[in-house]
Amino acid sequence: MGAYILRRLIWTPILLLIVGLVTFLLNFYGPGDPVQIIMQQYQDPAVVERVREQRGLDKPVLVQYGIYIGNALRGNLGESFKYRGQTVASLIGKRVWVSSQLGLAALILSIVLGIPLGMLAARWQGRWQDTSIISGALLFYSMPVFITAPFLLMLFVLWLGILPSHGWGGLFDLRVVMPALILGLPGIAFIARMSRNSIVEVLSQDYVRTARAKGLHELRVYWHHVLRNAMIPVFTVIGLSLATLVSGAIVTETYFGIPGIGRLALDAFFARDYPIITALSLMIAAAYVLANLIVDIGYRFIDPRIRYD
Amino acid sequence: MRSFEEEKKKRPARGRSLWIYAGQRFMRNKKGMVCLAIILLLYGAGIFAPLVAPYGYDQQNLGQALKAPGWEHPFGTDRLGRDVFSRVIFGIRTTVIVTVAAMAAGGLVLGIAMGLISGYFGRFIDSVIMRVGEVFLAFPDILLVILIAATLKPRVTEWVRGLEGTVGIEGIVRSGFVDYMVVFGALAIVSWVGMARVVRGQVLSLKESQYVMAARALGASHWRIIFRHIFPNILPPIIVLVSVGMGSIAGSEVILSWLGLGVQPPVPSLGVMIWDNGDISILRTTPYLLLFPVGTVAIIIFAFNLLGDALNDALNPKIR
Amino acid sequence: MKAKTVLTILMALMLLLVGCAKQPPAGGGELVRLGDEPSTLDPHLTSDVDSAVIVVEVFGGLVTLDTNLKVVPDLAEKWSISSDRKTYTFTLRRDAKFHNGKAVTANDVKWSLERAADPKTLSTTVDTYLGDIVGVRAKLAGESQEVSGVRVIDDRTIEITIDAPKTYFLAKLTYPTAFVLDRDNVEASTEWFKQPNGTGPFKLKEYLPGELIILERFPDYHLGPARLDTVKFFLGGGTPMVMYENDEIQITGVGLADLDRVRDPSSPLSKELHTATPGFQTSYLGMNVSRPPFDDIKVRQALSYAINKDVVASTVLAGRVKPAYTILPPGFPGYSADLTGLRYDPEKARKLLAESKYGADPARLPRITLTVPGALGTAVGLDLEAILAMWRDNLGIQVDVQQVEFATFLRDLDARRLQMYAIAWVADYPDPQNFLDLLFHSQSINNQTGYSNPEVDRLLEAARTEPDETARFQLYRQAEQIILEDAPWVLLWHPGEGYVLIKPEVKNYLLLPIVVPRYRFVYLEK
Repeated sequence: MGAYILRRLIWTPILLLIVGLVTFLLNFYGPGDPVQIIMQQYQDPAVVERVREQRGLDKPVLVQYGIYIGNALRGNLGESFKYRGQTVASLIGKRVWVSSQLGLAALILSIVLGIPLGMLAARWQGRWQDTSIISGALLFYSMPVFITAPFLLMLFVLWLGILPSHGWGGLFDLRVVMPALILGLPGIAFIARMSRNSIVEVLSQDYVRTARAKGLHELRVYWHHVLRNAMIPVFTVIGLSLATLVSGAIVTETYFGIPGIGRLALDAFFARDYPIITALSLMIAAAYVLANLIVDIGYRFIDPRIRYD
Repeated sequence: MRSFEEEKKKRPARGRSLWIYAGQRFMRNKKGMVCLAIILLLYGAGIFAPLVAPYGYDQQNLGQALKAPGWEHPFGTDRLGRDVFSRVIFGIRTTVIVTVAAMAAGGLVLGIAMGLISGYFGRFIDSVIMRVGEVFLAFPDILLVILIAATLKPRVTEWVRGLEGTVGIEGIVRSGFVDYMVVFGALAIVSWVGMARVVRGQVLSLKESQYVMAARALGASHWRIIFRHIFPNILPPIIVLVSVGMGSIAGSEVILSWLGLGVQPPVPSLGVMIWDNGDISILRTTPYLLLFPVGTVAIIIFAFNLLGDALNDALNPKIR
Repeated sequence: MKAKTVLTILMALMLLLVGCAKQPPAGGGELVRLGDEPSTLDPHLTSDVDSAVIVVEVFGGLVTLDTNLKVVPDLAEKWSISSDRKTYTFTLRRDAKFHNGKAVTANDVKWSLERAADPKTLSTTVDTYLGDIVGVRAKLAGESQEVSGVRVIDDRTIEITIDAPKTYFLAKLTYPTAFVLDRDNVEASTEWFKQPNGTGPFKLKEYLPGELIILERFPDYHLGPARLDTVKFFLGGGTPMVMYENDEIQITGVGLADLDRVRDPSSPLSKELHTATPGFQTSYLGMNVSRPPFDDIKVRQALSYAINKDVVASTVLAGRVKPAYTILPPGFPGYSADLTGLRYDPEKARKLLAESKYGADPARLPRITLTVPGALGTAVGLDLEAILAMWRDNLGIQVDVQQVEFATFLRDLDARRLQMYAIAWVADYPDPQNFLDLLFHSQSINNQTGYSNPEVDRLLEAARTEPDETARFQLYRQAEQIILEDAPWVLLWHPGEGYVLIKPEVKNYLLLPIVVPRYRFVYLEK
């Protein structure tokens, strides 16, 4: 296990370097010119050239990348093209925090609602309750955000009038409920489904039968053997939600006016805001690696039979 | 559980009839059959859209704008007076094109091939493929899709249009097939990894199985082992993944439309219809503009997922 | 123009005065509305509407424009123009102060103009707005430390020399690029604009990027302090109509989907609905006149004659835009109401197409691809779909649409690679030169259709130096008439704010065709 983690730690910076380079190359050779976008209608070619030079965008791509990495290692991620005068760090920092809180809220909802649903379904295994929970889970697992968002908005804001329609006030604010629910729905469905399956499987195992036969209270059986297995999908969802921190949240954040990184990322892509795009790519890649590490260690912790070599 | 015990007793010795039994199991699964019927019905309607749809997709009638659903227009009409029912059917045709284009663009093929090679040959090749895959997985795919679609799509479209001009066929570009080929080609570059990992895992466990060992001991070539012994055995999980994958491709069409990368108007797609009307104000005033396209996408996604579920039960009867 | 960039002008009477009372009460309190994230709050870097909306409330310059689009004093109390019309001498007001109470001096003005022209500032608008000042280009090129055309005479007097007698120079000084900043404030930190020390009617009280901006009244404002205590902009987005009906915001635009519901007389909202005049902008379909089939003037004219813009504007767009038959928008200086343009006439369109060198058979016409810039969530407009259908029905021409991501669109547009494209031009400053000369002179970099007519060039060049305004506008009128007849554009709409809902307690909120400092006039009546 230790050797595995060590190997991951050595591989991670290399991976980040490659991801950063690919981003840079795509920016450089891709269509669209950030200077043109900054300039909007002031397209005097001489001025475009001047601004390009001022931004250091006239240098060869590898030189630019080298300069970028050098600065990044010193903690300087540069200045945004689109949001003129603002540093990438100040633009991204707070938004990452907001998006992470939203992701955390969604994760908590997935676990708090997902596991009990899975347990209930397992209890009623084969009966109509089981079927409807599992089919419902499947439905919500496959429903994209753009379908669920308008309906929840209608239900909670227009009909019931119990939740505010937009905005952000942190984890302990009513406004977090709807976006977290929408982001969490696939997670709820996934956890419910997976934990139901693993519970059904575990319950049929010999050691559980033995435990029951020994007269252990049903709840204790659940606690010891069943929940532990149900944790595996939970870790998968943690991994998923970290890895899709950006892409999954774009629509939701836009819909509910949440100042997270999703919307910033999309704007940056469309404005060819290289400094922000590169920083976000690196961040997403790092989040992905971290997520995988957590998931791997989590699996190992839950089920010592799993080995990594 | 019950059926599993019975199944075990009946399980035949020869591999081929496994498929027959799987087929029988599937036929007995009501849920799966219903889903298959729904998918066939919708895809059929989409493929034969010009025959099925009562109106043309771009047949405008400004005097008939925003009519609520009724006998003449079962799903109502939009702001340009176009028949929503007909547009939904032509939208399904776009979904058919998308799913086919995505398959044609090779995401699955690439994934299966990479997984087989990686799992079977192991060692160095395995490490390289898996590390490269990790880079792709870690890379934000939305960035790649936007950039590729922005660079390549207009050029490829222009080129095919020129081709249409010289050959004298029309409508390849207008159907949106080219657009989606390019976009899904771009997606294939990043999306093969998931499939490759599943296949690799399967291959790894099969490689150590007795009959593969035996085949190897008998001197069978690598390719013979891969195609004769390994591939047929990993087919069931692949089939399940494909079914579920079709559903998510139908969903990603909607996202691509949101990014302005999908099919070009006036050809309708369910995604464009959803985003044009994906607004709470529409839900309050003319909900049918949103509900029918959303419902159709939801049914397609749901049906493919349930079908995948049923196929899983039929093909991998271990967990039940 | 390629994106919304608008100048800061104060216009009023032609605009709607909402619920104007004779004896307005104090009317303080907080006004809440949605806003868009500004790209920057540094005036010298401002080049877009979203930034300008906030910047003009917080900062100010020497001059601004009054209700009749005449240049009027802001920080300057008066000015004189030399006989060769190249030197402007400004006298500053005695009571002009920064938000921290410091008086504005001629040195502040000089320093600000030089900062805008400093290559290190990275301003993208300085060439356009200040490039006429002698020495600005030298400073931009790094050849000089100072801007030689800006001279401090004494604490309250400053002299600006421009390179040629240009009538529209003063109008350019109303744009944020020419705004006056406090040197101590700017040099204090790199993100100084998050605690700016401006001279405008409002102080920036709070700025949380992505969340909100709160402006607070500056009590010592030299043109008379605002009545509102604070103005709050939510930047995060959300669903405006729901927020308005939930009383979370007090002003919102009305989308197409809500319009019928809101306009219904039985709805209480109908009393809060206001109609804005069209903005100073024109949307159009540009045609590359060197690419077939647009090399034939008759094809271009036929496409314009074949579309019924009145019907599309009133039904599909529910009257939110005004159909465009002239290049200059109504109300714009130099606008000629008597120019008719190419009005809907399908018979004439068919006849013109038949007379063109491609003939009446649409199959012989080279394929037409209309390129539309797109980004997230912006589908090709319903208006365009309606127009495509009209071309198909009236002329039998099937036009393909190609949506292209914005950055790529810009590049292809500048390379004149697009056969036909959809875009809009928004006025930068109120002068016909800003539309006609920039877009149709054969040598202009903004002329993306490749349109070239020696007679038009001659008229436009004559207008540049013509001192008499009436004669000048007459020259522009002649040029516009020729351009309309030559039809390098299919003119579409003059878009604007459209329909706006305003809560009854909000008084005197001006619906303007362009960005202006407007919150100073607003008050609340509970």
